[in-house]
Amino acid sequence: MKAVLRLAALSAWSRRLTLGLTLIAIALAVTLLLAVERIRVDARQSFTQAVSGVDLVVGARTGGVQLMLHAVFHAGTASNNITWDSYRAIATHPAVDWALPLSLGDSHRGFAVLGTSADYFAHFRHGDKEELRFRDGKAFTGVFEAVLGSEVARGLGYRLGDAITLSHGLVERGAEHGDKPFRVTGILAPTGTPVDRTVHVSLESITALHLDWVGGAPLPGVTIPAEFVAKFDLRPKEITAALVGLKQRSDVFRMQRFINQYRGEALLAVMPGVALDELWQSVAMVERTLLAISALVVLVGLAGLAATLLAGLNERRRELAILRALGAGPGQIFVMLTAEGALVTAAGAALGLILLTLGSGLAAPWLLERFGIVLATRLPGSQELALIGAVITTGLLASLVPGWRAWRMSLADGLTPRN
Amino acid sequence: MRALTLVTCLLAIALPAQAEKGHVHGEGSLEVVIDKESLSLRLELPLDVAVGFERAARNDKEKAALAAAQQALADPALFAPTPAAGCKAEPARIEMPKFDGNKPVEHADIDATYQFRCATPAALKSVETTIFKSFKRLYRLEARRAGPTGQGAGRLTPKTPALTW
Repeated sequence: MKAVLRLAALSAWSRRLTLGLTLIAIALAVTLLLAVERIRVDARQSFTQAVSGVDLVVGARTGGVQLMLHAVFHAGTASNNITWDSYRAIATHPAVDWALPLSLGDSHRGFAVLGTSADYFAHFRHGDKEELRFRDGKAFTGVFEAVLGSEVARGLGYRLGDAITLSHGLVERGAEHGDKPFRVTGILAPTGTPVDRTVHVSLESITALHLDWVGGAPLPGVTIPAEFVAKFDLRPKEITAALVGLKQRSDVFRMQRFINQYRGEALLAVMPGVALDELWQSVAMVERTLLAISALVVLVGLAGLAATLLAGLNERRRELAILRALGAGPGQIFVMLTAEGALVTAAGAALGLILLTLGSGLAAPWLLERFGIVLATRLPGSQELALIGAVITTGLLASLVPGWRAWRMSLADGLTPRN
Repeated sequence: MRALTLVTCLLAIALPAQAEKGHVHGEGSLEVVIDKESLSLRLELPLDVAVGFERAARNDKEKAALAAAQQALADPALFAPTPAAGCKAEPARIEMPKFDGNKPVEHADIDATYQFRCATPAALKSVETTIFKSFKRLYRLEARRAGPTGQGAGRLTPKTPALTW
């Protein structure tokens, strides 16, 4: 048996070009299949992990998704702000335990700047109700102080006490708030959520930054030096959204109705967990379609393998006949052919896994920045292993065809000269 | 960028402002809240699903239909929480729509509230319903849930009449 497998390997090596191309096709197909599965799983994971313990996300009445994407993942854009008065009305509602105002729109070298209250660090939860922890320093207390997410600090090499300048808007080269630098007072521990890529400042700082701005640009000829901003009323007039925690969970539906029917302004309250579940429900079809397409691509690859092996049989008539003449039984020829197909499939699957790991390493920063999806580099999960198993089994089944053909070839087949 | 647009479109289709579910015939809504040992369900059914019309009863037959619907809904056994949680039902509260004489109305809903006291609420993993057997015109229930393990949503249909988490 061992000798047969050795012969199969050597024979395969002599035809390495054709088999190599087939192997690459299978590897690419497997990469695609696994990538679809991995992104599906990781997207769910990271969306679910990004916010926990928040009962409601409140914003302007746009769509639940825009609101979630913007408020929690800092992706996309918010169409409208909500007024500070509406926020206060919600925050002081007797059923509300805590409320965190969020003000987005500025950035720092590609990282989102979030204006919020210092309570944010006490109430925000991620993953399995984990609190935010400071790796260094502490929360901001006054204007022009900033707390950095771990990725911001690592990526830009900032330390406590460093001065940073924020830019207006999300463009990397947007107008600078250069006259009002911020001092880093704290750096958060890594969370694996969008928090890592966020610069946190107080709401008052956001107002102060824009004191001498009108209509999205600095007022010409007017500059208010940083040391004078305290003389102004820095209470924000509007915020982007708010995260709300309730005293009693049973109030959540009632509170949602209250906010959605709020008279002062068109508001939207979204239950984050419900929104995500409804999102998965509706994209389930798309996911299944993607998975089905990539499964088809794998099938095409394996069909190519079977075709290559079958076509090869003709060229190998002599080789197989000599083996038979030397005493190999039809069973051994069958095993040899089938093993060759199975080995090529297995090697393709392994190569596909390597490609996936390399590819996901390359795509991870982009996915995190664009969609807030944390693509983890990890060993294949049970679902992925099942897919790989299915691919290898199918490859084995596909290789049975050339194996069976070779078995059926008579001993004399390759020895009788024919035209 | 195109991928982002695609995703945004998908999301936009996926989430039509979840809170303001309108009145859809054939579709009810169910709110599930687990708070300490209490499990409360709030069911909203279009009146059409229960009796086939959405106005005041015009004759004895229609009156009987309304009464029968109310009685059927008043049975808390319509909903079965995970048996291991040891939940005991309290009397259900049914609110039938009120009509102002024969004045035509746009829509009418029945509101029903069910309360359970559970001995081991940590074991609560699902709620199953037999409501589809009593109301053939009900095609689905859009369920939303808030509990100690987080929030979630699910769609209950005659084929999958259970909300699990």
